[in-house]
Amino acid sequence: MKKLLVFLVAFFAAWSAHAASPQELLVASDAVRNPDHAFGLTNTLVEYRQGKQTESSTLAVYSKADPQGGQFRSLVRYVAPARDAGKLILFNGKDMWFYDPASQASIRLSPQQRLLGQASNGDVVTVNFARDYRAETAVEEETQDGERKPRRCYKLNIVASTPDATYHRIEMWIDVSNSRPVKARFYTKSGKLLKTAYYRRYQKVFGAERPTETVIIDGLEPDWVTVMRYSDWVKREVPETWLQRDYLPRFRPE
Amino acid sequence: MRRRAAIAVLAGLTIAAQASDQETDALRLADAMPEDVVRASDWRTFAELGLGAARQRRDGSVRHDRRLSLDVRFDHALSGDWRVVFADRLDISDPAQAGSDQAINTVKETYLGWRPAPDALLDFGRINARYGVAMGYNPTDFFRAGALRSIVSIDPASMKENRQGSVMLRSQWLWTGGSLTGLVSPDLERRPHRDGFNLNLGATNPRDRLLLALSQKIGGFNPQILIFREAAAPTRFGLNLTGLLNDATVAHVEWSGGRGPGQLEQALGQSAYGSHGWRNRIATGLTYTTSNKLSLTAEWHYNGSALNDAQWTALRRGPPLPYLGYRLWARDAQELPTQQALFLRAMWQDALIPHLDLTLMHNRDLVDASRRTWLEARYHAERWEYALQWQRNSGSTLSSYGVMPDSRSWQALVRYYFN
Repeated sequence: MKKLLVFLVAFFAAWSAHAASPQELLVASDAVRNPDHAFGLTNTLVEYRQGKQTESSTLAVYSKADPQGGQFRSLVRYVAPARDAGKLILFNGKDMWFYDPASQASIRLSPQQRLLGQASNGDVVTVNFARDYRAETAVEEETQDGERKPRRCYKLNIVASTPDATYHRIEMWIDVSNSRPVKARFYTKSGKLLKTAYYRRYQKVFGAERPTETVIIDGLEPDWVTVMRYSDWVKREVPETWLQRDYLPRFRPE
Repeated sequence: MRRRAAIAVLAGLTIAAQASDQETDALRLADAMPEDVVRASDWRTFAELGLGAARQRRDGSVRHDRRLSLDVRFDHALSGDWRVVFADRLDISDPAQAGSDQAINTVKETYLGWRPAPDALLDFGRINARYGVAMGYNPTDFFRAGALRSIVSIDPASMKENRQGSVMLRSQWLWTGGSLTGLVSPDLERRPHRDGFNLNLGATNPRDRLLLALSQKIGGFNPQILIFREAAAPTRFGLNLTGLLNDATVAHVEWSGGRGPGQLEQALGQSAYGSHGWRNRIATGLTYTTSNKLSLTAEWHYNGSALNDAQWTALRRGPPLPYLGYRLWARDAQELPTQQALFLRAMWQDALIPHLDLTLMHNRDLVDASRRTWLEARYHAERWEYALQWQRNSGSTLSSYGVMPDSRSWQALVRYYFN
């Protein structure tokens, strides 16, 4: 009887997972990466080239989902290195501003302007992929996860569906058992591999297991690696009034 | 055919295996990343040593310059909704900068901030209130007159950073996507001081001033409207507007306008004379960024209050004192001496090697065709920064850039950040 029960639970779990559409799988993996409320965290970025550390930055990130579209807006403050400390970047879709407290200058940025080495703006801030991309297919296969262990995953083929999307196409591997994102490959329009990202070091954050580290490997130069480690997660209110250019000179973290 | 297919499959497998090995190496690297997390500091302090040389236009001799600077910024949240900000810079130059002491201390900001409500802010003290979206000339930066005290570089970023604020009361009310800011800056002293350690309120607060700035996000645009009033002068208006043309290009327009005398009348103390017609000032341009971090900016500058070709030629051919008075006034006011100019800037981050930034800047006076070119290579490593700057001024006698005492100059800088 017990064996039958286990079989039935496993069957229905597998069936329900299979029943999920590729887009639903993408939505589920977004929910694993991103809390469903406003929050703050510290993002420590370390860049390696040919096995040696070449750069490191620490960012305080405050994020809040847009009540309209659902995409996250973020306010990012440099904590380190010392020469950048206090500088701010506001990410509000394609409305991006850079503010330097030393010169009191607010400069509008284009999405192409990258401020953090290899990491793109979309890597640094919280992104709900399902808002700007459409998952077309899901194929089950085994892959190596971020802890270098084999893992059974759905491989999603994802394409850009809004003009706000940063990448043309993404392949994403999602754990069949719990919808955790395992890794992703990002491609240009011409099919060139831009980078590979591993989502790893899963830990309990805000009541759910979430990745607390992303390892980004450059597509052209695989020995160019950026590690982004997230810490100091805190549920906090991010007022709408913060998410505009005119607030940047007045921003003071509590 | 079969052999070719087999080779292709084998090659594909080999590449996949290599990629997998490289990814495994990357993950091992990440395993070894230290667990330390850097905490935010209220302080940002650096010291900078500069050595330079300049060829004198007058006699071709070379002047050697040395400089030591100490720059401090402190921004601390007090208990509750209070905040204190202090920013100061000390420049010790040998020889001294023209008309100044060897040591110049610039109190950039000292103010106390209070947030009486989540959407309302009040600040009081010396505040560097800077407005404008353009890079090389800011017609809406109404508080720029008298703000520069020690010029260590002609880089616009340096000139925006190394300046003294005005004493004022600033209030701001915020709402979703917009804000209204009001500034009141009183008349405290009429004449600037030469003493390097003087607070120099005569330069920053020589008359009563009021500013209102209203911003509201509308679609992809962020317009900002400004109204500025100073004692004994008509009201001036301003507009800042930016827009994204595509994923790589940002366009900007900055405008100010109002009735008033021309710059020459103001410089010579003859504001009561001459035409008091409407005068516009404009800075507009584009910034395009390539995928390899090269940003190219082109701006056109127009100042309807400055001299046109005929007036500029007449002033240059006339007696020296009015010319000198006009040039000094325009420098202190950070205004264009002539009506039109072109500004080009190319900045390449991580150029050729990581951490090396190259900047090329070119100013061209479109009235007298004089020009200035500035090049900088800056390398940063941990707490250190090393920079090499080169500058050339050229043009006919008494032209905008042809009058500069240095025809060519270079400067080597070493900067160390303490925190």
